[in-house]
Amino acid sequence: MGTVEYIQHHLANNTVGEGFWTFNMDTIVISALLGALIVFVSARLGRQLTTGTPRGFQNFVESILDFVSTNVRDAFPGHNPLIAPLALTIFVWVWLMNAMDLIPVDLLPYLYQVITGDSHAHLKVVPTTDLNTPLAMALAVFALILSFNIKHKGIWGYTKMFLFHPFGKFFIPFNIVMTFIEEVSKPLSLGLRLFGNMFAGELVFLLIALIGGTLAVGAAALFWAPLQAVLDLGWLIFHLLVITLQAFIFMVLTIVYLGMASESDH
Amino acid sequence: MSEIKKPVDLTKSDKHKPKPALNFLLLGAGSMFTSMIVAGFLVGYLVDMVLKTTPIFMLGFGVLGFIGGIQKVHKLLEKMDLMDPASLKMVNKEESKKDVK
Repeated sequence: MGTVEYIQHHLANNTVGEGFWTFNMDTIVISALLGALIVFVSARLGRQLTTGTPRGFQNFVESILDFVSTNVRDAFPGHNPLIAPLALTIFVWVWLMNAMDLIPVDLLPYLYQVITGDSHAHLKVVPTTDLNTPLAMALAVFALILSFNIKHKGIWGYTKMFLFHPFGKFFIPFNIVMTFIEEVSKPLSLGLRLFGNMFAGELVFLLIALIGGTLAVGAAALFWAPLQAVLDLGWLIFHLLVITLQAFIFMVLTIVYLGMASESDH
Repeated sequence: MSEIKKPVDLTKSDKHKPKPALNFLLLGAGSMFTSMIVAGFLVGYLVDMVLKTTPIFMLGFGVLGFIGGIQKVHKLLEKMDLMDPASLKMVNKEESKKDVK
């Protein structure tokens, strides 16, 4: 397998169906499994909660809860019982999906190929490097933004925003188009930012993996294996920062957008 | 009965509080600008598809997205100017004007 085929193989999803009804099964299954992991760990921890000074894993989880609740308090005006759980879910789920990037790029696809017996089977293990996942999450946030806008501003208040913002009452057609573009750009920037960062990160991992591993160059390429190990470690440590930052940005911007939508005066 | 305290309306009490986390919008200023242009082209493309006028609305809305993007980023950066970096609190606009004078 050449370098181009190697990269193309790793960037292709395991799909079922055709055309519009193509389901990326690896994305769906892995993201669902990670979601189930959150539920399982939370339920298990919930049964073992202790009062007093928290220790071990409970301490770690409480520090995450504190971190999220501080951000919600800072960014969201007023109180809404939906926001903190939503922010926590987004942060933990996106972080876990991003963290799949830290598993060696060939490990899970190779295991999958061994299990299925198909040496050409595709498996893309990072759900956030599939554009569908970030965009689906961004669309869910967008639906919430719309409902918050209508709930707090009222239908007329929200329509007024389209009519008279940003250039006032004499440019109504322009205002409608520009506000519409502005609203569409919110989920677009949320989704594309996460996807772009994770896709680029995955690509760098693949390129580093090619340094010492490509059989197309021959066994002499193994000479570069130590360089690959050093670069991989360096990028992995840096990527830890990237995956946390991207999960954090997605969470905070969701809170900020919902906060802006729940302010009655625009 | 009169001694029972009324529940605090957090919406009202927090309304004028400084919101430091709004600064996080600045993190997304760059991508907001680009996505405004992309969104403009997308909306224009959809309108063109319906009206069969390609590429008039796509280009027009793309330009509007560009203008909107600049305006949006400018608005965000204006807020940053009013930020007191030491305390991360919003400085009153009028106060800052007085200081300049």
